[in-house]
Amino acid sequence: MKSKSRTLMMQRLALHAALTPLAIIWLFPLWMMFVFSTMPDYGIFSPDIVLWPSTNFVENFKNLQADTNFLRAMFISITVAVIYTVLSVMLTSMAGWALARYRFAGRSMVIAIILGTITLPFAVVVIPQFIMVAREFKLANTWVALIVPPLFNSLGVLFMRQSFSMMPTELFDAARVEGVKEWRIFLHIALPLARPTMAALSIILFLASWNNYLWPLLINSRPGMMTAPVALGTLIGLTKVSWGGIMAGAVLLTAPILFVFIFLQRHFISGIAAGAIK
Amino acid sequence: MPLRNRIAYAFLAPYLLIFATFWLWPIINSFLISFQNTRVNPWRFSLTVNWGRLVADPAFYNALYNTLIILVIQVPVMIALATVMAVLLNSPLLKARPLYRFAFFAPVVVGEVAYAAVFRLMFSIDFGIINKLIGSVGLPPVSWFDNGTAAMALVIIAVTWRWAGYNAIIILAGLQSIPGDVYEAATLDRVGKVQQFFHITLPLLKPIILFCVVLSVIGTMQLFTEPFLITNRGGPGGATETLGLLLYRQGFTSLNFGYASAIAYTIAALAVAISLLNLFIGREAK
Amino acid sequence: MAGLTLTNVIKRFGAYEVVHGANLEIADGEFVVFVGPSGCGKSTLLRMIAGLEDVSEGTIEIGGIAVNDVEPSERRIAMVFQSYALYPHMTVRRNLSFGLQMNGNPKEDTERRVAHAANILQINELMDRRPGQLSGGQRQRFAIGRAIVREPQVFLFDEPLSNLDAELRVQMRVEISRLHKQLGTTMIYVTHDQTEAMTLADKIVVLRAGRIEQVGAPLELYDNPANQFVAGFVGSPKMNFLKARIEGKGASGVTVSLRADPRVKLTLPVSSAVAAGSQVMLGVRPEHFVNAGAGDTDLTVRIDVAEHLGHTSYVYATISDEPLIIERPESRHGGDSDSLTIGLSAARCFLFDAEGSRLR
Ligand SMILES: Nc1ncnc2c1ncn2[C@@H]1O[C@H](COP(=O)(O)OP(=O)(O)O)[C@@H](O)[C@H]1O
Ligand SMILES: [Mg+2]
Repeated sequence: MKSKSRTLMMQRLALHAALTPLAIIWLFPLWMMFVFSTMPDYGIFSPDIVLWPSTNFVENFKNLQADTNFLRAMFISITVAVIYTVLSVMLTSMAGWALARYRFAGRSMVIAIILGTITLPFAVVVIPQFIMVAREFKLANTWVALIVPPLFNSLGVLFMRQSFSMMPTELFDAARVEGVKEWRIFLHIALPLARPTMAALSIILFLASWNNYLWPLLINSRPGMMTAPVALGTLIGLTKVSWGGIMAGAVLLTAPILFVFIFLQRHFISGIAAGAIK
Repeated sequence: MPLRNRIAYAFLAPYLLIFATFWLWPIINSFLISFQNTRVNPWRFSLTVNWGRLVADPAFYNALYNTLIILVIQVPVMIALATVMAVLLNSPLLKARPLYRFAFFAPVVVGEVAYAAVFRLMFSIDFGIINKLIGSVGLPPVSWFDNGTAAMALVIIAVTWRWAGYNAIIILAGLQSIPGDVYEAATLDRVGKVQQFFHITLPLLKPIILFCVVLSVIGTMQLFTEPFLITNRGGPGGATETLGLLLYRQGFTSLNFGYASAIAYTIAALAVAISLLNLFIGREAK
Repeated sequence: MAGLTLTNVIKRFGAYEVVHGANLEIADGEFVVFVGPSGCGKSTLLRMIAGLEDVSEGTIEIGGIAVNDVEPSERRIAMVFQSYALYPHMTVRRNLSFGLQMNGNPKEDTERRVAHAANILQINELMDRRPGQLSGGQRQRFAIGRAIVREPQVFLFDEPLSNLDAELRVQMRVEISRLHKQLGTTMIYVTHDQTEAMTLADKIVVLRAGRIEQVGAPLELYDNPANQFVAGFVGSPKMNFLKARIEGKGASGVTVSLRADPRVKLTLPVSSAVAAGSQVMLGVRPEHFVNAGAGDTDLTVRIDVAEHLGHTSYVYATISDEPLIIERPESRHGGDSDSLTIGLSAARCFLFDAEGSRLR
């Protein structure tokens, strides 16, 4: 008979032998993003293999700022993401509350429509949305155009509805008997209890807004009203452009989120897993 | 009580207004626009101008072909990889778990533009780090952007890198919901680890894996950023042009909204059809 | 303070009717217990009184005023729930004051009421904890405290003790009884536990499948059940029901014979019209058997198990496959023999027809 500890040892070795190279490959692009962002352009395009960071980050960033007003774009991205997240959490938690806690005419129809269309690709609405916002409302290159249309996202409604309907009914009945107004029940009892769900939802929504590309690209293409991903995207493919600068921009787009991700991994993961399992 | 009814609507109304304006109505409107000739002013209704063009357009068939190729190769590879990642990450024998988790999950939070930029640079032909590494082991460099097949491979590699971890998160959550005593019982029955994976884990994971497949199909059907930014607007010569890119081109370069809407509806219909087919096959095989 | 009147109250969920026309008078200051098996509509009835469910048909009056269209908060009622329903994110002090505060009650008055409730329930030291840091009994005390603070006309309790262990349940039962004496407010209390009903109530309302089966004082129900269901539900252990057959009717009443042993005949003082030969049920409580020869007739049963509790014993027995329970005071009596002969006295037996109605 094989000894138990020896078998375990071998299994552990095999596991790490399989996983380590995969992890290195997976980290490689992120590492190279960082390395490139610190290298001068002539270094990036030299024939040597360089895998270690250099000291040119600030210089690269200056080039980026000269190519496109990236600071302005970052400011727009951050502001939009924050406002979008707050608004979306507000709207979807109110809607989720109504759908979880009241029986009213049309309730099941609303739920059916939301569930029935949630998996449709965004591509299907992009043309009419664009025509409406840009041509009919004449809102292209405005803050409203960046923030309001994406609020249709119904993931939050399902998310919040789930959270509210798992709370014991008696809690709200108790408040109702005490004469607490419905909106105060929502504000003072339901929302505080839904805080963990709101945290996970906020993270997902912030991330979605921060990384959103297609819609901002279409609707806000004027320099000065571009979001950071759009501004960076305009540089990719140009011939006379600082690639070190682009990489510096990529790092600025990625690092803050990655930093938050390290500390809030649990929330990110539970948000993604729960959002998927619904 | 009618009062409660009114309160419910009050809570629901702000969201419903946005939802109807920016989602429901456009879904319907998109269908209507696909029957408009939008190349004349004012637009004129026509049953066939867009749909007729679609069924005869070689550019459409090229995009459809490319999209399906990516779908057929990328989705299975990525889901298999994600399953392996999830199973290995779930092993109690693993040391330094947070580190591995970070490695696989980090791409999930990286924006499309940022990662597209890095891939474009890493795979650039003359001085890209990938070709340098390939060269350092004595192999000839690959023309990632000039060779259609290589460009396709690049798109597939990029999408897989970006999304495998996302699926692994979902599958891992599924794995963790399988009770441990099932495995203990199997171990006592002298069922090996590999057999346990194929006969216990996989069957129990099937609904979740199917769900991942459906999500990935929907994502791939509207793939846009990668061919747009990495392989330079679907290059070389349309070899990586996807339906998403064709939609963008027709809608926002040629401003032919009617034709773009027809493409959009085709994307949606295919996504729904392929998802349903998946679910159907998944149920049949049970 | 106020009494209540329910007139033909019907409740439907969609097409499904769960309360079929309830009529009930509750006097001011009365302690009324709704009792019945799980799912019979007790909570639904209580929640209609609270205003948490709409009344489909009929009227509910509190203090002489129809309240069908009155919001729960305007009905001057307070409710205590089975799960306590304390707001988990607030200290219990804030739990007690929250409702008053939200309704703009003056601060001093709120504080006075909270202090008063805390005094009544002796919960002063725990006031700054959160519900999660309290035991079940303590939580239930605060839930009652929250009701007291409202100074309601009517207290409503929905199985408030079901989540507590047996010992705590007895203790809280006594406290609720004491509270009722102290406040004198009308209380309506829902439970599925007949012991709680018997010990707490001024008046018991027995419900079955959405119908009120009988209303009366606890001993009235015990001594004089209206039907077989109430007879079986009130009293512990349950009343025994033995299949019997009508032999005939004479001046002194109706004579029946047991199906299990036709030699056993008993004449009960019943004057209802009955047909000879029809099937009936003979009901006798376990505690109402007498010693052999001391009653009107004797019967012999086979002993399955005997439980000796010290002050009393329960004998689980059968008489040709019909089970019955017999309570015997002489507990230490040797249990070797496997049969037992005991007496029945007609005055303590009940007769029910095939539909379960009492034959009087
Ligand atoms: N909201 C509801 N919708 C549909 N049926 C319900 C609802 N609430 C209760 N019921 C039904 O009404 C009946 C009585 O329920 P309930 O009053 O809670 O019983 P009890 O409190 O006596 O155990 C049960 O059959 C229950 O299934
Ligand atoms: Mg109940």
